[in-house]
Amino acid sequence: MTATRVRKFDGGTWLADAPVGLWTLARWAGTAAVVLFFIFPMIFMLMVSFKTQPDIASGGLIPEEWFWQNYPDAWNSVAVGTYLRNSIVAATLGALVTLVIAVPATHAIVRYRVGGKFLPAFILATYVAPPIVALFPLFFLLRSIGLVNTLFGMALVYGVMNLPVAFWLLSSFVRRLPEELEDAARIDGAGYGSVLLRITVPLLMPGIISTGIICLILAYNEFLLASFLTRSESTQTLPVGLSLYQGDRQLRYGQMSVASLIGIVPVYLLAMFFQRWLIRGLTAGSTR
Amino acid sequence: MAELDTTPQRTRQGPPTGQRWPGTGGIDRRRLIGWAVVMPLIGGLIVFAVYPFIYLIFLSFSNSNLGTLFRGWVGVEHYTDSIGQAKFTTSLLRSIIFALMTTVASCILGVCVALLLDRAVKGRHILRTLILLPLMTPPITVAVMWQLLLMPKGGWLNSFLMDMALFSQPVSFLGSPTMAFPFVCLADVWQWTPFIALMTYAALQTLPEDIYEAAKLDGASGPAMFWSITLPMLAPALIAIAVLKLVIAFKVFDLVFVLTGGGPGQATTVSSFYIYRVAIQQFDIGAAAAQTLMFAVVVGLVTIPFTTAHDIAEKRLT
Repeated sequence: MTATRVRKFDGGTWLADAPVGLWTLARWAGTAAVVLFFIFPMIFMLMVSFKTQPDIASGGLIPEEWFWQNYPDAWNSVAVGTYLRNSIVAATLGALVTLVIAVPATHAIVRYRVGGKFLPAFILATYVAPPIVALFPLFFLLRSIGLVNTLFGMALVYGVMNLPVAFWLLSSFVRRLPEELEDAARIDGAGYGSVLLRITVPLLMPGIISTGIICLILAYNEFLLASFLTRSESTQTLPVGLSLYQGDRQLRYGQMSVASLIGIVPVYLLAMFFQRWLIRGLTAGSTR
Repeated sequence: MAELDTTPQRTRQGPPTGQRWPGTGGIDRRRLIGWAVVMPLIGGLIVFAVYPFIYLIFLSFSNSNLGTLFRGWVGVEHYTDSIGQAKFTTSLLRSIIFALMTTVASCILGVCVALLLDRAVKGRHILRTLILLPLMTPPITVAVMWQLLLMPKGGWLNSFLMDMALFSQPVSFLGSPTMAFPFVCLADVWQWTPFIALMTYAALQTLPEDIYEAAKLDGASGPAMFWSITLPMLAPALIAIAVLKLVIAFKVFDLVFVLTGGGPGQATTVSSFYIYRVAIQQFDIGAAAAQTLMFAVVVGLVTIPFTTAHDIAEKRLT
């Protein structure tokens, strides 16, 4: 903690004051190690995507020759484009379903104490059960209403799946809203719906965006439910498509890396652009 | 801390009871509409959580396969059979060990990363973006990345260890009964540590500065301040984060599916994967249902001590 005062890394101070210097040095080394640990697997996969099959077996980091052919090959041999489209459609629709249900409900539960203490506890308790619990009952339910193996069915499943998460994230945002504005609008004669739409939702926008993105990513990344509820290329999502590589007699590592990278790009772009919202959303729970 | 205290209080007051919607009749319309608005959420939870549970209870007492359900009742046979099966009970144990190990490891590492983030002056944004990425990566892709790193022929870890002359022969990490499980844990820690780091970092920002100033005046050292101020004050938030990670860890499926397929032998077969196989490969939905319910009970039992610890830690602070 002595190091807090030396916020700038200037050679003079840390040489003169040994303990501070050691701390600073350890911190830089630690940071470097952390960064390396977290990005190395990604870099290695990127490198593998540029290697030929014999080059992959050699195990080096840098490709011996840069082999671009994996990219068109992966795109043509498996339906990466279709999988990607399916994932984006199911995840986006799913996140919208989640928000449409969760925003008014969370507002009512937190602001008007609908359901008392029981309902919030119950909502969070449903999150504890592993998804395998819902797998078979959902399958039979979807089958009976003809939504197995449809993107619409997947979107509904994802929409419902993320409700507890959305409630948990949104409730901390709702709690921070000033009540006075809603009260003022109400005194001016605005009804429940117009208070919600004109006052609450605009004020809640940062929370809604954060929650929406997190739900979108959770749905985009989901595998277990998708692998069971989608059975054909026209509905399978990207994680399911990627898992199909595992069935090959000889794994096409290069193409598998390419397909994985293509799948990552949308989420990483989302993470970069909406970094602030994402972090605000993720951390909303721990700061209450 | 100030924020932690004031916000719940405001909600505790709730709406002034008996307050009526201006310009309406005698009933508390706001509550009524509130219930109407909450209904879709409750409906969703019924479809995703309540109905599956009830359905599973019925299934678990029946003889069912994927094609035809409910082909007769078998009583508690599926339960007694499953408990008698070493493969099932060890999968439960393995799920518990997996959840506890990955939670402890990613919490320790996550706190370290959070402290680094807290201290980093330059490049904090870059650091934050970078560590956000593992969290955003689909678990299937995380598994693919680690499969590439760990494969015996051409995996980076093998060629690195052989270059360092530590190994003379490539080792199949994921094919070894002793090493496969720790490496699946490692991949999980890689994915989830950033989540814990970000949450912990956010919790760190709420700690009051003046206590540190006072401790500094008293001549407390850095480590001493961490153990006697930071950690105790962080404890409630940290335990809450750990509970979340624990619950998530019990859900692990994708990593096992790609990295090891549950093997070698049963070495990495966690419960969710075991149950999936009973249903998909043996088509025995009845047994799978009974096992799912027992698994859910185990998850609850393991989680309870942590939520209790959270309540104790929170009480001690206030």
